[in-house]
Amino acid sequence: MAVVSVRDLKKSYRKGFIPKRTQVLTGLNFDIQPGVVTGFLGGNGAGKTTTMKCLLGLVFPDSGELTYFGQPGLTEAAKQKIGFLPERPYFYEHLTGIEFLRFYGQLSIKMSSAQIKQRSEDLLKRVDLWHAKDRLLREYSKGMLQKVGLAQALIHRPELVILDEPTSGLDPDGRYYLSELIRETASEGTAVFLSSHQLNDAERICEQLVILREGRLVFNGDASGFLDQMGVHHELVLSKGGERTVCRIDDSSEIQKRLKQVMDEGYEVLELNRQRVSLEEAFVRVGLRGEQNV
Amino acid sequence: MFKPIWSIAANTFREIIRDRILYGIGVFALLLMGVSVALGSLSFAEQSRIAANFAITGVHLSVAVLSIFVGSTLVTKELEKKTIMTLLARPISRWQFLLGKALGLTMINVVVVFALSLVSLLVFVGLGVDPSARFLVSLYGVLLEGVVLMGLALFFSGFATPIVVSSCCVGLYLVGHWLDSLSYFFDKQSGELIYYVTTGMTYVLPNLERFNWRTLAIYPDPIPWKSVYASTFYGLTWFFFLVFATYLVIRRKDLG
Repeated sequence: MAVVSVRDLKKSYRKGFIPKRTQVLTGLNFDIQPGVVTGFLGGNGAGKTTTMKCLLGLVFPDSGELTYFGQPGLTEAAKQKIGFLPERPYFYEHLTGIEFLRFYGQLSIKMSSAQIKQRSEDLLKRVDLWHAKDRLLREYSKGMLQKVGLAQALIHRPELVILDEPTSGLDPDGRYYLSELIRETASEGTAVFLSSHQLNDAERICEQLVILREGRLVFNGDASGFLDQMGVHHELVLSKGGERTVCRIDDSSEIQKRLKQVMDEGYEVLELNRQRVSLEEAFVRVGLRGEQNV
Repeated sequence: MFKPIWSIAANTFREIIRDRILYGIGVFALLLMGVSVALGSLSFAEQSRIAANFAITGVHLSVAVLSIFVGSTLVTKELEKKTIMTLLARPISRWQFLLGKALGLTMINVVVVFALSLVSLLVFVGLGVDPSARFLVSLYGVLLEGVVLMGLALFFSGFATPIVVSSCCVGLYLVGHWLDSLSYFFDKQSGELIYYVTTGMTYVLPNLERFNWRTLAIYPDPIPWKSVYASTFYGLTWFFFLVFATYLVIRRKDLG
């Protein structure tokens, strides 16, 4: 059973002095599966954050059907199973790290004080912030805020975590560390739904992809299948007289014929590699240029 | 149902304390009380009355300033800093959020009144004045007024910026204290329209003079218990009405 099902989600805003209706989401359909990291990709203004806010009840859709854990609508029981990390760390700066986690633990209702205390301490150790537990959040760096924000989203052991740009603005170490934490979270059975502009990270950790372009869904499905569909080619690495040559074969049915041909020509075959486009290239082709609706 | 309200209230309380807003209020009130002692010493017979008058005025102004200026940022700050998003993504409804914020500021008001009263009592003891229960009733009126002012600030902050909210609240604070005088003055005029407008204002706007028992702290009048009960009901009705109205404003508001 899908953790969340989105059917025909539409949202528009009125903007300007003389209000003019702007369609932001145009009939989205997708599911979020348990224990899977689903990447939510799209250019700036594609509607990613609006969709996430619709899922969290922060923005009210014009129409559409949202089902959470098999039940229609965002009930209090459903909210208890959801964690959220916003795009920028909008947190209470007057709190220390440990107070911050305890506060959000108290808001989750289903935890006792002892459980909140234990869980806060465990999470601070897990995100490597135990040393800064008594420092005010206003003294935290961006990376530290993202980490404590993720801990906040996980404090009540949610079944779904919604992460809006979790790795934005982080250094490579921070991005790697946070990506690993996200993978760990999913491996424990939690559904992770994350938006990101860091496509290398997304390619590494996302098993499913939902791609938006100007509020429309352009892809929804398996990440590796998507990359395969966007084009696979083979690279043949050859050597003759100490000189290396790389040949590209676009049609896989040509491989045998091409191998025979180069060997007849006296080349030594060093490697035959299957190559597919990177997520970055596929995203640019589908998400931005609208080259192909998959 | 009450646990999240309490958690938000405790967080609001902590936020205001740590933002050091209270330091300014405390300094102002202490200055006012210092002046009361200084002025009181100029007059032998009226010394205690002057001290009591300045003390209760200090507490009254402190609570009014806190309720209006901090109250005006209770919701707007959450919206501007977007901290409301992580809060409302939790199993918390928007009315629980509003009540939690209001309770947090009320707790601050109680602490301010308590602290300043203690200082006032020390001044009274120093001056050889016997504090009475009437002083407590006048403080209770100050707190009730603070609750209504905070309700007004909450209501306006549902759709306006903090500066607009503060301006509206200061205006309503002044009108709220002059309503009786306005009503009396225009009652004497011949114009029917003005009469209906001023009468209408007394129904539409909160009459803050109903919480003014500050003379009790100065003169040995009997405590008007009936008025205290009726004004308590009046103040709480206004407060819950304003919180409900604020809830209606933000109930379906998109948080961007």
